Amino acid sequence: AEVEETLKRIQAHKGVIATMVINAEGIPVRTTLDNSTTVQYAGLLHQLTVKARSTVRDIDPQNDLTFLRIRSKKHEIMIAPDKEYLLIVIQNPCE
Amino acid sequence: LQVFDDEGKDVTPHPLFHSDPKAVVPRQGKLLASSAHFGGTGSGTYGSSSTSISNTSTTESILDETVEPGSRRDTTVSLSDVQGRQEEIEELLTKDDLDRSVDIYLTETETIWILDMPSVAVSVESEDAGRIQERNRIYADICKNRPGNDRFVEKMMQTINGAAKNKEVQCDQIIMEDKGTTVTSWDLYNSFNVLKIKPTSKAEGSGATAGRSSKPHTTKEHDQTMSVSSDRGSTSSSTMISGSSVLARNHEEEEYHSEVILTSEKFQQDLFFMERILMENIFQPKLAAYRQFPVLIDPDVTSDTSRTVAAVKEAKEKEHGKEKKDKEEQKEAFIDPSILSDVNKILEEIVPPSLERLWSYACDLTNGHSVSSMAWSKVNPDLLAVGYGAFDFKEQKKGLACCWSLKNPMWPERIFQCEHGVTALDFSMASPSLLAVGMYNGSVAIYNVRSCNDAALLDSSESSNKHTGPVWQLRWVEQDRSATGDSKTERLICISADGRITEWLVHKRLDCTDLMKIKRTESKKKKLPDEKERKSEALISQQAAGMCFDFHPKDTNFYLAGTEEGHIHKCSCSSREQFLKTYRGHKGPVYKVAWNPFSTDMFLSCSADWSIILWHQDSQTPLLTFSSTTAVVHDIMWSPKSAFVFAAAKESRVEIWDLSVSILDPVISYFASPREKFTSVLFATNTDCLLVGDSNGEVGVFELQNLAALNSNKVQLTR
Repeated sequence: AEVEETLKRIQAHKGVIATMVINAEGIPVRTTLDNSTTVQYAGLLHQLTVKARSTVRDIDPQNDLTFLRIRSKKHEIMIAPDKEYLLIVIQNPCE
Repeated sequence: LQVFDDEGKDVTPHPLFHSDPKAVVPRQGKLLASSAHFGGTGSGTYGSSSTSISNTSTTESILDETVEPGSRRDTTVSLSDVQGRQEEIEELLTKDDLDRSVDIYLTETETIWILDMPSVAVSVESEDAGRIQERNRIYADICKNRPGNDRFVEKMMQTINGAAKNKEVQCDQIIMEDKGTTVTSWDLYNSFNVLKIKPTSKAEGSGATAGRSSKPHTTKEHDQTMSVSSDRGSTSSSTMISGSSVLARNHEEEEYHSEVILTSEKFQQDLFFMERILMENIFQPKLAAYRQFPVLIDPDVTSDTSRTVAAVKEAKEKEHGKEKKDKEEQKEAFIDPSILSDVNKILEEIVPPSLERLWSYACDLTNGHSVSSMAWSKVNPDLLAVGYGAFDFKEQKKGLACCWSLKNPMWPERIFQCEHGVTALDFSMASPSLLAVGMYNGSVAIYNVRSCNDAALLDSSESSNKHTGPVWQLRWVEQDRSATGDSKTERLICISADGRITEWLVHKRLDCTDLMKIKRTESKKKKLPDEKERKSEALISQQAAGMCFDFHPKDTNFYLAGTEEGHIHKCSCSSREQFLKTYRGHKGPVYKVAWNPFSTDMFLSCSADWSIILWHQDSQTPLLTFSSTTAVVHDIMWSPKSAFVFAAAKESRVEIWDLSVSILDPVISYFASPREKFTSVLFATNTDCLLVGDSNGEVGVFELQNLAALNSNKVQLTR
């Protein structure tokens, strides 16, 4: 459906290293990386997301985390968190 | 027995015991049992000679006494009986008895002992004295003999402890668990709100469990997840009733199906945002240039990109510098010593104006289609609608209309598939989400951009009046209705190859009325009366195909129409048949006419005869003719910022003309790659960029650099 198309487009973009969809238990639903790396990313990023969300909501409980971006030297990791899943895209923004 | 005193009052002592005359006389045995009671009511002497009297002795004494009360009881009973009998008898007393003498016996009742405290002291002279004295003496002797006497032994006794018996009991170890939780403010907020959410989630959960067969999920899985358990823990700590938490967990279990995740709307939205953010990352320098922001250089970026970025940055600075100068001066500012010195500060030489390609709106879907028209949204200057369709008859295929957003240059926001090639489109002003599309088969469709639905909102296919030729241009025009006051209404006007300019009414069905029929006009060549007349009669149709039109920017009653013959007619909305003026100059079909937005007496026209002509509306001969190459000019547009600048799309290149600089040559000439042909141009209103559509389906976004006089808007072109 449209979801598949959009996902494929995102994966096909230049600079995109990996795309992952992980459910709330940490099990990858869709991934373009190998399983061990995916699981590693999933675990670490999940913890970070929970911490980030906790921070945001501590400051104002009516607020909530919608997007998380981590810019590092080599890549940029973009996370769209939700109660049931995590959408993670790793991009190399330099051409 | 009755006793009367002196006054005759009855002072008969009432018996202390009133027994019911009908009652059965209690027997002696019963009396004994209830002796205590009787002792209370009757007379009772509790004889006691010493304080340590056991119960038995009291009963004995009472027994003694009870005999007396018993006897007395009998007497009282008998007394009451007598009384009763007496009462019975009294009734039978008559007057005669009053005269009888009655014997009255006064007797003394028995002594009623109320309290008897026997004395401890006895008189010496009583009979018992001797005995008591003897007893006292013996007691005194005993007391004397007591210490040291063998008969008195102090003995200590030890209580016997019973034999202790150990008994062991074994029980299960009571498992203690320490539990602590850190409460955060959002946790409190959640707990507070969960009471409201709980009833709905309960309903959902029950619905889900009822609908599907829940797969058994072991708790091990739950424990394995890293911090999800803490999440769940926090939610379960906030739910009061365990039942609801079980329901919620079941509900969550259903959601773990991956398909459910993938098809959820939230996921779609997240994907949408993610794509946009990706685009932003990829296109950030280009988008910044588009917006004319200083471009940030990523410190870790490789060297060549930094060079181009720096170059862009420098170009920006130059342009800014130039623009500032231009504001002070009205006319040409290109060769100005002050600017030269400014330029020299940054670079040694004057950089000629150029078009820098930023990016292009293209995707797989649009590959192969030729761009026929472009239009900006009236409300959102970053939203672009592009129509794809071929101009030639031979190349006709299904057309496409796409809405592109600045935020995502690689995939259009909306895709509308059309049956026929799209030849014209325009956004409405009054209702900004309406997009009108004109097609090659003459039909006009209106799409609602807000919905993702592919279907047209309105279609003109059922209209009886529709065009029979391709709709070459359409526009929403705001017009002052002079009759009904000065409220501006919007009309959709189209011109098509069947020679009619029509106005469409947007109601439930799309229907149109004719504004103008373009008649063929004869050329002004000298003709021989007989021959040419006959020739003119043998024309196929009376009407000339209209290719383009443009309404006057100030006075929307007038408009120009360009025809296939090469004539441009100035028409008025009020007259249906007559033209006000005809401008002849072109030798081929006029593809575009455009009024100068600043100097509203001038207009520009381009045609297939390789030329662009500048006209003044009062003169019927051309003012200026621009022809630089032997290529068909498909599209022209005046720059919205400057009165002198216009862009032209010739087949193999895009030209920017600046009339203040040169009227013979274009200022910028951008050559296309061999395979593509440029078909349309569009200036961006909020930035110095030009959009060029080509035959490959790409809309390239070019930034105008170093273009002088970009901000001048006052013009007085005198000839």
